[in-house]
Amino acid sequence: MQLKSPRSILLAALALPGLHGAAHADTPPERGEITLSYLDYQDRQPGLDRIAVHSPSVSILAPVAGVWTLEASLLHDSISGASPRYHTAISGASHMDDSRIAADVRVTRHFSRGSLSVSASRSNENDYLSRALGVQGSIASADQNTSFTFGAGVTNDRINPVNGVVHDERRHTVELMAGVTQVLGVRDIAQFDLTHTDGEGYFSDPYKFLDIRPRSRTENTALLRWNHRFDASGGTSRASYRYYRDTFGIRAHTLSEEYVQPLGGGWTLTPSARLYSQSAASFYFDAVYDPVFGPPSPPNFQFTPGLLITQDQRMAAFGALTLGLKAEKKLGADWVVDVKFEDYQQRAALHLGGTGSPGLAPFYARTWQLSLTRLW
Amino acid sequence: MVRALPVFGIGFGAMASRCEIRLAASDETEAHRLAAFAIDEVKRIEAKYSRYRPDTVVSRINAAAGVDWTECDDETLALFAYADALFAASGGRFDITSGVLRRAWNFSQPRVPGAAQLAPLLALIGWGEVQREGQRIRLPRAGMEIDFGGFGKEYAADRAGTILAGLGVTHAYVELGGDIRVLGPQPDGAPWSIGIQHPRAGEGTIAAIEVASGALTTSGDYERYFDAGGRRYCHILDPRSGNSVDCWQSVSVLAPVATAAGSYATIAMLLEDEAIVFLDTAGVAYLAVDRHGQLHSKNVGSVSY
Repeated sequence: MQLKSPRSILLAALALPGLHGAAHADTPPERGEITLSYLDYQDRQPGLDRIAVHSPSVSILAPVAGVWTLEASLLHDSISGASPRYHTAISGASHMDDSRIAADVRVTRHFSRGSLSVSASRSNENDYLSRALGVQGSIASADQNTSFTFGAGVTNDRINPVNGVVHDERRHTVELMAGVTQVLGVRDIAQFDLTHTDGEGYFSDPYKFLDIRPRSRTENTALLRWNHRFDASGGTSRASYRYYRDTFGIRAHTLSEEYVQPLGGGWTLTPSARLYSQSAASFYFDAVYDPVFGPPSPPNFQFTPGLLITQDQRMAAFGALTLGLKAEKKLGADWVVDVKFEDYQQRAALHLGGTGSPGLAPFYARTWQLSLTRLW
Repeated sequence: MVRALPVFGIGFGAMASRCEIRLAASDETEAHRLAAFAIDEVKRIEAKYSRYRPDTVVSRINAAAGVDWTECDDETLALFAYADALFAASGGRFDITSGVLRRAWNFSQPRVPGAAQLAPLLALIGWGEVQREGQRIRLPRAGMEIDFGGFGKEYAADRAGTILAGLGVTHAYVELGGDIRVLGPQPDGAPWSIGIQHPRAGEGTIAAIEVASGALTTSGDYERYFDAGGRRYCHILDPRSGNSVDCWQSVSVLAPVATAAGSYATIAMLLEDEAIVFLDTAGVAYLAVDRHGQLHSKNVGSVSY
């Protein structure tokens, strides 16, 4: 029998699953995890504490038979405080209480060079029901250095506001996603994703005075991520830039950076910063007090059929800065506890390359989250 | 100035061998936490491919020999594809069906099996005749066996290394019973100095090889053997004759991954007089000790994969 080239042995070995491109192989998790979290959120505007959210959650990740992963989570939000109000006026801030239950489940099948997952989620409030289904797949090149990701999802929402402004309104959204991840050596990984979303249905906010938005919205997002590992400190930088545009006329930029630094004694410290800026929707109006309608109305407001109008703060031109710090401590081989704090401030003046929507009241939020994870 | 991380050694037993993971970590707890992922992977492979446990895919394939097909998963099929490459590159000498020869060779007694004893076993050897179809495999004759003992330990070392690399570990090596996969140099950048066991002097070493990355494995005639009639009979058996090879005391190979390094070393043992040409053609660094104790080496000490 003739010998084949001995070099073929090395090539054949490198083709074995998980022997090459170590940093990136989409391998199933080795251990299961169960995490209990408690999130505390409070936002405020000058002179007014607004929404408070208390949100316990439980999530589980379980490897099954070496090639499957099951993930599931259950979350309960209790929301209380002033209802979302017009952005500058103090009046009209009535009290609200609401609660939300959200659950999602994802099943992933891992293959030697990729994975396929199916997910479903459901979120229920007394006036809002949202259900989503998604499928996502990834496939890696033979050397595992490049991987491609594709995803598709549909979301169906039902809106039944307690004030009866609309009844049984619906929104249907289809999302398509494609991405590529490239290993750029032992220290760097880059990722580029494009997401396209088409939505039809009710986009208005039923609790806002004079909020009439288009019944369709197309959104496009480009996301670039870059992770870099520093040999000297053993830390990892995770930087990203996201560009967003939609048919409401909003253009948004998000720049974020977090730095993960392992310290001695099982500690890891992760400071983070995120800078966000968006332009206003084309039908956004800066509100003024109207002599006829009272609380905020657009200047010289006249109602006409087909009118599109919003005064929602989230549709305005503004910028925002989020600063965060997360501390994680490993307790033995099986337990991880982490605490995370985030401070968010939103101001017209932080809008990139301009002053943003005039008269927009600053908005602040802070989030605490405590999590306990058990590995098994 | 950032202080270099300390190095911790975590020993464990797996695959009937003494094993160790050495890695740089912030502290001992962290080192154990990281190593646990790699050790779990080694134990997973050991449990999945053991031929001693009745429920493994290997045992099911062997139990169905001459009778039925057995469904295999992707990882097992990938290992078969690798076995194909070894079979082809070794001219059929590296054959994962040759384990049946253990029925004639019992190294606890110095007895050389005769031709009459070997002939029926040789008829059960032949990876080239094994039937495969999609996800299924079938051994054509009752009594045939496969096992991954020829490269399972090296494969596990590589997989464990992959997992550590995925956790961000850069200064570490995984050693499974003398087969070593190196992830990166010591924290100060210096290569690890790895001793090569002396094939005739017990715990002594015959050389030390500097390795900063890649893998170093050794195949030798001193693991299971007996001496009789002035020659050594070792556990490395030529599947064509059923006889023990007798040319090299040991062959150590440096290659980018342990799976390949181990296969080069074993095939070199099996190829006997053709070993040096084979290793040179493969382009790997090696250190071989011939039956007289003479050293033959190439690029050892200066290579870094």
